[in-house]
Amino acid sequence: MKIDCRDLERVLQDAGADRELAAAFEQHAAGCAACGRALAEWRQVSSAARTLSKSWDSPELWPRIRQALAEESQRGPVRERESRGGFGWSWLPAASIAALFLIATAGLWVFRNSGGRDPLTAHWQTTKDPLLTEKAVDEVDAAEKAYLASIEKLSRLAEPRLAGASTPVLVNYREKLDVLDSAIAELKASIDQNRFNTHLRRELLAAYQEKQRTLQNLMKEVKS
Amino acid sequence: MLTAKELALTGPDIRTADSELLEGLKAGSLPAFERLYETHGGRMKSVAMNLLGSAADAEDAVQEAFLKVYRSAGGFRGGSSVSTWIYRILVNTCYDLMRRGRRRPESPLPAEIALAPSASSDHSTRLAIEVALRRLDPKERAAFLLCEVEGFTHREAGEILDVKENTSRTLLFRAKRRLQRELSASGAFLPPEPA
Repeated sequence: MKIDCRDLERVLQDAGADRELAAAFEQHAAGCAACGRALAEWRQVSSAARTLSKSWDSPELWPRIRQALAEESQRGPVRERESRGGFGWSWLPAASIAALFLIATAGLWVFRNSGGRDPLTAHWQTTKDPLLTEKAVDEVDAAEKAYLASIEKLSRLAEPRLAGASTPVLVNYREKLDVLDSAIAELKASIDQNRFNTHLRRELLAAYQEKQRTLQNLMKEVKS
Repeated sequence: MLTAKELALTGPDIRTADSELLEGLKAGSLPAFERLYETHGGRMKSVAMNLLGSAADAEDAVQEAFLKVYRSAGGFRGGSSVSTWIYRILVNTCYDLMRRGRRRPESPLPAEIALAPSASSDHSTRLAIEVALRRLDPKERAAFLLCEVEGFTHREAGEILDVKENTSRTLLFRAKRRLQRELSASGAFLPPEPA
């Protein structure tokens, strides 16, 4: 295997997965001062990292946590607590706005599609049955997959921006996406109990569309 | 220091014990939370301490993470292992604390905090890394801390950070490259040992 200094990045990124490559570079580094030093430094970073783990006694921490859990349990069932804003009042305005927006969007979406243009709702437009057929469920599953692929692509682009969100606008986008994610998770949990429920499927699709739109707007915001 | 129980339960053992905990956590059983604390508390504090830079903030983050686990255990659907789910909650809690800016100032390590043993010659490199780590992008820093410091696999780190396994590899590579360049420029590395 022909190896030279230009292979350094590739070798470091490979992290020893390709043993032949690693061995060949090792041989090159033995006779190349710059690469030898780079390899040694790389290893020093790893070896120092293993010493960064920290531990200390916190005799008061578990009693604190136990007390907080006991107080939390006295406040009532989780669902009731969450609906009262148990995750912090600062979430309430953003969560309310996002929930209202979601409901409005879902309503608009259903209304807009009542004309029969969207293939996703073809089944729903031809029947008033609240339950989907097996075939219709397969079609809806396929449509959901398309949305998920698009959302995943957009999420990858948006992720670095959101991770370092420092402006109020980006923080709002992040909070809205968090609310949409919990709505999607709840809908999916309900659908797991009843895959054929038309109403739940509609709501889930509306939530996916809203998330896709939010991510698209976020990317526009970042570019502008 | 880590308890004997924490030292005994590592890697796959931890994951097995985790799955047994889940039912108790879902039921809101206090003994299950106590077991969770005994098993993961030490490692959770270490992760939070390295992310936040303050022992007091780290303990607040661990407490907050436990409350979030309590609130959301019923909805946990097993998309990831219980342990990575818990650390994901913890890391997000740390990000929230960083974002809210309600952290105590970063301070030198208190004397009572024990570091993992190392050769004394590594000490300067370790200190230089700790300083350089604070300048990394949060996700790169988290990938470095989870994989290199705490020994999580890339699959686990990916689940914790909500990224793909390969993204975790890339984040770690970038983090190490930046650290290496920064330490090299500041002369923090030890000279190579004579052959």
